[in-house]
Amino acid sequence: MELSDANLQTLTEYLKKTLDPDPAIRRPAEKFLESVEGSQNYPLLLLTLLEKSQESVIKVCASVTFKNYIKRNWRIVEDEPNKICESDRIAIKANIVPLMLSSPEQIQKQLSDAISIIGREDFPQKWPDLLTEMVNRFQSGDFHVINGVLRTAHSLFKRYRHEFKSNELWTEIKLVLDAFALPLTNLFKATIELCSTHANDASALKVLFSSLILIAKLFYSLNFQDLPEFFEDNMETWMTNFHSLLTLDNKLLQTDDEEEAGLLELLKSQICDNAALYAQKYDEEFQPYLPRFVTAIWNLLVTTGQEVKYDLLVSNAIQFLASVCERQHYKHLFEDQNTLTSICEKVIVPNMEFRAADEEAFEDNSEEYIRRDLEGSDIDTRRRAACDLVRGLCKFFEGPVTGIFSGYVNSMLQEYAKNPSVNWKHKDAAIYLVTSLASKAQTQKHGITQANELVNLTEFFVNHIQPDLKSASVNEFPVLKADGIKYIMIFRNQVPKEQLLISIPLLINHLQAESIVVHTYAAHALERLFTMRGTNNTTLITAAEMAPFVEVLLTNLFKALTLPGSSENEYIMKAIMRSFSLLQESIIPYIPSVITQLTQKLLAVSKNPSKPHFNHYMFESICLSIRITCKANPDAVGSFEEALFMVFTEILQNDVQEFIPYVFQVMSLLLEMHKNEIPSSYMALFPHLLQPVLWERTGNIPPLVRLLQAYLERGANTIASAAADKIPGLLGVFQKLIASKANDHQGFYLLNSIIEHMPPESVDQYRKQIFILLFQRLQNSKTTKFIKSFLVFINLYCIKYGALALQEIFDSIQPKMFGMVLEKIIIPEIQKVSGQVEKKICAVGITKILTECPPMMDTEYTKLWTPLLQALIGLFELPEDNTIPDEEHFIDIEDTPGYQTAFSQLAFAGKKEHDPVGQMVNNPRIHLAQSLHKLSTACPGRVPSMLSTSLNAEALQYLQGYLQAASVTLL
Amino acid sequence: MPFGNEQSERMKKFKNKGKDATALRRQRMEVSIELRKAKKDEQILKRRSIVFSFVDESVSPAENKNEMSQLSLEDIVEAVNGSNAELQLQATQATRRMLSRQKDPPINQIIDLGIIPRLVEFLTHADNAPLQFEAAWALTNIASGTSDHTKAVVDGGAIPAFISLLSSPHMHISEQSVWALGNIAGDSALYRDALINCNVIPPLLALVSPATPVEFLRNITWTLSNLCRNKNPYPPLDAMKKVLPVLICLMKHEDKEVISDSCWAVSYLTDGSNDRIQIVVDTGILPRLVELMGRPELIVLTPALRAIGNVVTGTDEQTQAAIDAGVLAVLPRLLRHAKSAIQKEAAWTLSNIAAGPSRQIQQLITCGLLPPLVELLDKGDLKAQKEAVWAVANFTTGGTVEQVVELVQSGVLKPLLNLLLAKDSKTILVILDTISNLFRAAERLGETGRLSMLVEELDGLEKIEALQTHDNSMVYRAALNIIEKYFSGEENSDLQPGTSQDGLYDFSVEKQDFNF
Repeated sequence: MELSDANLQTLTEYLKKTLDPDPAIRRPAEKFLESVEGSQNYPLLLLTLLEKSQESVIKVCASVTFKNYIKRNWRIVEDEPNKICESDRIAIKANIVPLMLSSPEQIQKQLSDAISIIGREDFPQKWPDLLTEMVNRFQSGDFHVINGVLRTAHSLFKRYRHEFKSNELWTEIKLVLDAFALPLTNLFKATIELCSTHANDASALKVLFSSLILIAKLFYSLNFQDLPEFFEDNMETWMTNFHSLLTLDNKLLQTDDEEEAGLLELLKSQICDNAALYAQKYDEEFQPYLPRFVTAIWNLLVTTGQEVKYDLLVSNAIQFLASVCERQHYKHLFEDQNTLTSICEKVIVPNMEFRAADEEAFEDNSEEYIRRDLEGSDIDTRRRAACDLVRGLCKFFEGPVTGIFSGYVNSMLQEYAKNPSVNWKHKDAAIYLVTSLASKAQTQKHGITQANELVNLTEFFVNHIQPDLKSASVNEFPVLKADGIKYIMIFRNQVPKEQLLISIPLLINHLQAESIVVHTYAAHALERLFTMRGTNNTTLITAAEMAPFVEVLLTNLFKALTLPGSSENEYIMKAIMRSFSLLQESIIPYIPSVITQLTQKLLAVSKNPSKPHFNHYMFESICLSIRITCKANPDAVGSFEEALFMVFTEILQNDVQEFIPYVFQVMSLLLEMHKNEIPSSYMALFPHLLQPVLWERTGNIPPLVRLLQAYLERGANTIASAAADKIPGLLGVFQKLIASKANDHQGFYLLNSIIEHMPPESVDQYRKQIFILLFQRLQNSKTTKFIKSFLVFINLYCIKYGALALQEIFDSIQPKMFGMVLEKIIIPEIQKVSGQVEKKICAVGITKILTECPPMMDTEYTKLWTPLLQALIGLFELPEDNTIPDEEHFIDIEDTPGYQTAFSQLAFAGKKEHDPVGQMVNNPRIHLAQSLHKLSTACPGRVPSMLSTSLNAEALQYLQGYLQAASVTLL
Repeated sequence: MPFGNEQSERMKKFKNKGKDATALRRQRMEVSIELRKAKKDEQILKRRSIVFSFVDESVSPAENKNEMSQLSLEDIVEAVNGSNAELQLQATQATRRMLSRQKDPPINQIIDLGIIPRLVEFLTHADNAPLQFEAAWALTNIASGTSDHTKAVVDGGAIPAFISLLSSPHMHISEQSVWALGNIAGDSALYRDALINCNVIPPLLALVSPATPVEFLRNITWTLSNLCRNKNPYPPLDAMKKVLPVLICLMKHEDKEVISDSCWAVSYLTDGSNDRIQIVVDTGILPRLVELMGRPELIVLTPALRAIGNVVTGTDEQTQAAIDAGVLAVLPRLLRHAKSAIQKEAAWTLSNIAAGPSRQIQQLITCGLLPPLVELLDKGDLKAQKEAVWAVANFTTGGTVEQVVELVQSGVLKPLLNLLLAKDSKTILVILDTISNLFRAAERLGETGRLSMLVEELDGLEKIEALQTHDNSMVYRAALNIIEKYFSGEENSDLQPGTSQDGLYDFSVEKQDFNF
């Protein structure tokens, strides 16, 4: 493309079309631009347009297009063609900086981004003039230009804050420092001077302060990796000026906006960051300045208002104090009783106050409020910073600080008592103060785990928390109610059990509160109390203790779901699940109503599933209803099917993808509850379960395999007789799964169930093919996971069909195959098998090969007999994997990745571990001894001689132990 | 470094339980780029001789100060190039005086006069000792400047001249030559080797005798240390073997400056490959070095600690030699030293001992190193804390489960987690890796639940969660990995989406030949 007017015109036309709302016009234009962007001069045409076009919309559009073009094409990837020709690259680099600086702000930002993208690739080696070009502009005196340079520099240098130290990086930084540090320092000084000469000119000040913010940011980047010599030598200049900026105020810079931080706040905030950086990394050099900063920042805190716009500044400032006060050698700055009192009074207490903004959030944005307050996403809030400062001060001054605050707590409570309806916020602050003072360590799962011993938590609970919760109206002072409930929740491990028991009916009562925060907290608190552990790994609060409250608890929980704003409240649903799990059979009388309500809920949310956690707990609750009820009365399964299948059908028909994996799990659970032959309603669904489209979704695979296993367990005979034509499809699923390294274990689950349950004659014709398939995977892409599953499978096969059948089918596929598998796979790999049941299957299978397979005794396979026995003994004597799974009730599901992995396993739909050899063999070691004994009676003398020639001594010793335990000898 | 090439390094760890000491031990970082001011605790590279009054009076009694100072640069050039010995002496002395003044010696101007070759020539005037001395002094001070200044002296042919002056019958001339040679040697590896190739070592070593005055001995030791200094390339091994026995003797001297410089020399010798470390270990000097690490004087303690720190970057056997020499008994005091640079060096040393096999880690525990390590991690300055983090990281990589438990019980977790707030990406990454190591140990004990609770109680979880948005991709991936593995309830990790074949599930297969 030539740099011609015609081309500029064409480009203008197409750029204009890319802004068209009609995709029929927009898309082809975008396509066209993409098709020409490889041409020489294309970027230069864009630059010309953004500079000279008559239409400002084209200017902006060209600048955005240019930036995106640079983003996509500038980097030269090895082995790929260079997408921008060299002359264009040179021309761009030569022109872009002046162009950026002379452009209006909107375009300047795009070009500045483009420069930093180019800089990331080319700077410094391939763009040596950039720095000088930028630095020269500092002299211009035009702060529009200067800010453009500073912004670009910031985007180029900010990566120094997170990259690892390397020679390459440091070479670049050194180069930057050499060229940039002095001019930046001079600019800093000059800008500050200009600020005082223009102290009465608001618009000038705004530009100057924007520069100062950028300069302070650049300072942070340039000083991040290490303290540069230049900045050490000029620390006086920088720190003195930073310090005076911290204390500066100018009415002209104050903003009316309550929410958005103004320039002054942003600058001071960045200075706090800079001081914190120096205090942390360059303590030795910074020590002389630190006390001054502590004082300045503290004064800043005392004089800064409560408005939201100051939040970032205040929390940064408090965090600075918090990090300093924990350090031994600055302890003295805080030690004085007056200082401590003043910090507590003027910094901590005011920032703990419940503000108008908090009140607004509490009422109108409760979800966000709960997230911040309950889940600790409050890192940048003032309350949180104040709380951190309390904890920091407690490191050295726990006694005095507790003393000072006790006084405050008392006086605030007195204020409250005088006139609760006006002064309730004082009590809120008092509770918050007690909480932050008392909590030394905390986890989501257990609440507070370590408390300040100087605070009497139970006394406070009885005197100040319970009375609020006992009050007749659940809707009065909702914030205090929420505080009180939260207090129970987080101090549940500190407050004695009898107090918790007293609280339970109070909490149940508050499920009725109108305030979303209050009833949500009540549900959450109950849920947490129900997961507390007592002795012997049981729950602290027992079903018996809950007996009087069952009805009201269930009623209120379900009613809470009907309160405005809580129809899909995950905390309530989780509390329902946990209540079911705790109460067990005492919920049975209420099941009919419960299951109706759950089904209605399910139907309603399946229209548009939006709350993954809520949905998850809802399905868990359904599973629990089924399990608990059917455990007592297996026949009840029918009524659940009646209630649920309609909704399930709708979910499957409408293909509600989020719910399908859950539906399969619930169906598995239901099907497993059946004691007799599989009902026809399930059989009707069977062919649909083999549909490839279902198996293409990863999230469906585990629950579908689980469901097919349930079909095979309960209905193998029915399938063989009534759906024999579907067996190839079933095996097709197996083949599909086995082909994938990720899903092959699922394929083996299915195959194992087929082998275990299907009548042998129904799969006879497919058996050889199954093995060939497995051997192919073994040959072409074996993984440890595959081998483990393979070993379990062939041993299960051996148990089911006999060792001889195994040998015969192997050798019929290829001569000497059996020996090869023994030698290359079973013997060397058997120790990798993990899991008690899996190991047992392998032990029994190998025992059979050793003792019930004649070719092992009198063919060339005989040489493998002793090695196989040795491998088996190794399997026995390997240390067991003895991690015991947590009891189901305590399992916490809240962090399950949910829809992200598209499969959400339901804990309460859990499958009991199945042991196919359980009845046949109790102790596999003794079984081996007995089987060897039997073999030795059949051919006396052979076994002892094989043992004595090549079994190693240790293994022999173990074997003798087994023989002794079984009270048999070998002949 | 253990955290460099992640994947392969990790595999190594699994197989050898992290006992690949070559991967764990960290050599003194080759920093060719420094942002900071030159370190104050480094040994001085070059020295200028500023006016010693006793030299002036005793050696040049005839000198007339007023007359001297009036010599212009033109006069000097003329006199030096002339043939009048008296004027030559006066001019050379004037030159030397200018170069010896305390502030702003006019080195460049003198070089520009072009008189260096003449000054070098004066060095050979064996019949005129005062002239030799003044020239040597002047050249010494020129060589003490920048590399360009030193180069001017070397280019003037000074090396062989100075080397032959080592054997001058006049002790003060020989001493001045030692000094000049020290400045040349300290400039670069190139000049150092040029000196060695001109056979500087035998005459230099010959100067060391019980009768050598201590001032002179200090000069010799310093020059020897510069001959051992600099890398890229390292000094030739056979030359070092010649120097080493003398250094060992000097290290036993009573003068602390002599001891200091001989320790520096040994620290340079050990700052390299393991075969270099071995020749030092073989001399049996480690117990003396460890003893010197316990000395109160910084100038002795600093280089001794450096030398031992270098030794433990070596093989397990070399590290064991340092342990046998008692290093673990002195380290606790150094970890608590008032100077943070010493703390840092001591922690670095400890980190390399912790990179050893579990029996060495056991010795480290037995000798009570864990409490000071935890203390340093908690209260040290950031530079020392970073090294302490490495020590903990290495410990958790190579230690047995029992040892790791002991580490956790000694309270390492809290300060370690606090350091996740450090403004240094590398340190954060090393801590995250360490946390993973701790969890692996906990897995073996079935205690991951307890560990994750502990981490959360100590506000670690919150910090790790925050790191999931860190700008450095390795950091956020490591954080994410820990959260997913140990803090997200149940796992579905084996359920990643698989590749699907064609949509049709027909169950059929073609047979092939198998050979496993």
